[in-house]
Amino acid sequence: MNIFLEKIKGFSFSQWWENMIGEPLKTWEKIVGVVLIIIFLLVFYITLDANKFKATVHVVEGESVIGLNPTTEKLDFGDLSRGTSAVRRVELKNDIPLSTYVVMLKTGEISSLIDISKNFFLLKPREETKIEYSVYMPASAEIDKIYDGRVYLFKIPLIWLWK
Amino acid sequence: MKSFFINLIIYIAIIGGVVFGFPKALSWYLDTPYPMAAITSGSMWPVLKEGSLVFIKSVKKEEVKIGDIIVYRNSNGFTIHRVVELGEKDLTTKGDANFQKDVSIKYEDIIGKTLTVFGRPAAIPYLGLISVAANK
Repeated sequence: MNIFLEKIKGFSFSQWWENMIGEPLKTWEKIVGVVLIIIFLLVFYITLDANKFKATVHVVEGESVIGLNPTTEKLDFGDLSRGTSAVRRVELKNDIPLSTYVVMLKTGEISSLIDISKNFFLLKPREETKIEYSVYMPASAEIDKIYDGRVYLFKIPLIWLWK
Repeated sequence: MKSFFINLIIYIAIIGGVVFGFPKALSWYLDTPYPMAAITSGSMWPVLKEGSLVFIKSVKKEEVKIGDIIVYRNSNGFTIHRVVELGEKDLTTKGDANFQKDVSIKYEDIIGKTLTVFGRPAAIPYLGLISVAANK
């Protein structure tokens, strides 16, 4: 254990790089390396912090048929017949002292059916907002089919807008 | 330094050729002044999704069949919908996702029909998103 700790203590990335490549790291290479690490950590944090909602809707036969399953863990639009629509709302609060840029992405078969009330917007520190997700069932929807997918809500903290 | 500039000129020529030459070549091959169109609404879902880019080829009046997806000119610009009725002087279209038929149009207003590959419209997803954003 002590030998292992001593090895870690004495580890130098520059030295390791020099041994591997045969020449020391240049200054610009170090700068690019640090910038890439910061970008990676930022992307990693934003991805990890993103809200992921499973979205689903079931197409049923008939006219004006709406059956909602009010669950909180997913965007379940329940049973909808052609020509009807359903709306689900999500409350979003920015708890951090930084302005946050909100970006939402939709994936899966349901993505073409979901309409998001607002996307790509700035949320100030401690500001609250409501986002509406609505699904309209078009005439070409397949009866008895379940359209599903995911909605990813990314919150990108804008460090230069610290308040 | 000299070879760098020669390479740069070659790259610019290639990019210019692709950007300006490809639509011209496509226009000649498909025999239409509008060889490509972006899908700006969900009215043809799920066959054509919003943001996709489709290819249009010229079509003669006698070649238009019920079920074809055609592009025609109207007061709002261009519409890409499916033919549902054929008449002597005019035809009627409808968006797959719509409940109502469109107002009848004259054959002269048809620009072309979508190019099909293995019986399905040839579409490139997301390539028309810039056009969709500009439209909104």
